[in-house]
Amino acid sequence: MILILSALVGISITVVFPTLTEAQLEKKTFVTHSGQVIQTSGDVLDPLSASSTVEFDPQKFLRDFNYGRISESKTGQTIRDFTIIAEDDKIQEISPGVFYNVWTFNGTVPGPTIRATEGDLVRIHFINNGSKSHTMHFHGIHKAEMDGVFEIVGPGGGQFTYEFEAGPVGVHPYHCHVMPLEEHISHGLYGVFIVDPKEGRPAADEMVMVLNGFDTDFDTDNNFYAANTIPFYYQHHPIQIKTNKLIRIYVVNMVEFDPINNFHLHGNLFHYYPTGTDTVPSTFTDMITLSQTERGIMEFQYSYPGKYLFHAHKVEFSEKGWTGLFLVQNPEDSLVD
Amino acid sequence: MNQRSSQIRTVVSGLIPFVFLVIMILYLFGPGSNLLKFGIALPEITIEKVEFFDSEIHATVRNTGPIPVKIAMADVNDRIQPAAIEPDKSLERFETALVRIPFSWNKAEPYTIGITLDDGLRFDKFIEAASPAIKSDYNLAGFFAIIGTYVGIIPVMIGLLWLPFIKRIGKNKYNFFLALTVGLLVFLGIDAMQEGFEVSQKNLSINFNGGLLIATITLLSFLGLYYSAEKLTSRTKLSIDSKPLAIGLMIAIGIGLHNLGEGLAIGAAVGLGQVALTTFLIVGFALHNTTEGLAIASPIAKTKSPISKIIILGLIAGAPAILGTWIGGFFYSPYTAIVFLSIGAGAIFQVALVILKWLYQSEQKLVQASIVSGIGVGMLIMYLTSILV
Repeated sequence: MILILSALVGISITVVFPTLTEAQLEKKTFVTHSGQVIQTSGDVLDPLSASSTVEFDPQKFLRDFNYGRISESKTGQTIRDFTIIAEDDKIQEISPGVFYNVWTFNGTVPGPTIRATEGDLVRIHFINNGSKSHTMHFHGIHKAEMDGVFEIVGPGGGQFTYEFEAGPVGVHPYHCHVMPLEEHISHGLYGVFIVDPKEGRPAADEMVMVLNGFDTDFDTDNNFYAANTIPFYYQHHPIQIKTNKLIRIYVVNMVEFDPINNFHLHGNLFHYYPTGTDTVPSTFTDMITLSQTERGIMEFQYSYPGKYLFHAHKVEFSEKGWTGLFLVQNPEDSLVD
Repeated sequence: MNQRSSQIRTVVSGLIPFVFLVIMILYLFGPGSNLLKFGIALPEITIEKVEFFDSEIHATVRNTGPIPVKIAMADVNDRIQPAAIEPDKSLERFETALVRIPFSWNKAEPYTIGITLDDGLRFDKFIEAASPAIKSDYNLAGFFAIIGTYVGIIPVMIGLLWLPFIKRIGKNKYNFFLALTVGLLVFLGIDAMQEGFEVSQKNLSINFNGGLLIATITLLSFLGLYYSAEKLTSRTKLSIDSKPLAIGLMIAIGIGLHNLGEGLAIGAAVGLGQVALTTFLIVGFALHNTTEGLAIASPIAKTKSPISKIIILGLIAGAPAILGTWIGGFFYSPYTAIVFLSIGAGAIFQVALVILKWLYQSEQKLVQASIVSGIGVGMLIMYLTSILV
């Protein structure tokens, strides 16, 4: 009797536990890597082609340059004033459905792209509205006390004004330099600082790409990679460019944890100016390798219209989001400018 | 009348603590819920099962954490893949969902399937070698039946062939074989529990308290069978002849449950593609299980039992292996496996105790060379044959 009872209990436990899934009526579909169309009665988990719901807009960030509030000193020097506010309590959707505590300069990762001309006086009014100490450390040439390392800016409204002459010419990163440094950088406290030569550069369609990643499970290994924060974004929102138009990309590698990152362009080669400090390109290639905070300027133009990939040729990174598309159109064909 | 009101009073006094318990729980979930808000509840999911279909990988996930979760992403070998989740991506506590990942996998290669939650936490499960998920058809059921027969029925029947031999030997040697049976059984019981712990460690979330589940079910099974066996043997005023047969039956049932567990393990291993079932493995199980026939043969050796009854005993002990492979192969869940293994362990310990009691009743003491050495040799034999498995 008890044997039967225990068997019954055993069977009923095992039958009740695996909850039976109930079929829903509407079907959703998604497309796989190989182009297969899959139907499901449930939800689609697809950061690769999901029309993004995230707050940060990489399309806007791509060509967004901040020149500051411009004024002129008595000596005729251009002064550029910027206000940068640091915060560390935001939860942002950094990939469809994945929420992460980002630490931000002016509310976004990366922070605003700061742009000045060589010799300008740059004044950064820095306010720390975070709950931890933060600073701004610019790569470039400046006085020791403007380096943002020992002048810790306290939480809850601490302030500091960084003041220096823009230089040298090129593309540089800025980032928080408070210990533990890896934590402050990997949470998102970084951005791009561009110094234009006085004589300017040839006219071009210019864009900024910060190569970054997020370690969302804190195992000192990135779970997501991207150009400009959102994985796969430029794959489902291709960057529209024109044939025979000079393209200039300011590229900065801010990936933590992995020693190197790289950038490979399809169907084309580009002139590369490491750090952007020289006017003569160092190489003509379709592949560059970048270590931490290594950066440079890429220049190229497409002769043929169509879709061209660009991605990390460290394929692990591209399969975790660092991949995108250029949609190249003939000027007369393109409807949207 | 008076008696009835006192009865009501008894019932009410028994219920009062429950009422207060309910009030406390309601308070803690309702107005008092802020009192206990300290510490951080971490989400947790367990990937319970991974199956490989035609260019699609299926992962069964269960929310085994203290809070509801949302599934955000799936990956294969830590590379993000588009996927679907059915019925939907929100999982309440203990709810399961099926994640379908279209992926053209390669046979026999290892894969790690990862699932990322909405807060970025990633959980994964490693599969040693991908093998096509079995299709539940008659061919496979037949294949399992053959395995079950080789592993369960045939070895037990071969073991029973020792019956005439045991019939002929003297009392001391007979006691030795009974004690040997005890050794075999104790080993099998420990073996079943150990296997349960292994399953619990590999496939069951910590939240299910696998260890305590095994202990509880084993003890329940032991007590339940012990109680019912006592009732059975005392009530029917058994003759000396029929008591050994009752013990033989109990052993057969215990071993049957054990073989059910063994079948579950084999079926599940095939079903999950964890092992290629080699001839060697089958031979190992068969050798190991031959000793089980001996365990049934010993107590019934001194009685005149009809051949038909002996065969039935053999079937009771051996046939559940087939049932086990079916359940394990077609409806595997770690929970089922642990429950059956634990029932088997309890049953086996109960039989071992009954034989020891029986030996004590006829000998009045257990510490004697034949019995002690019997138990020891029994366990040794089992250990040596277990290496083959």
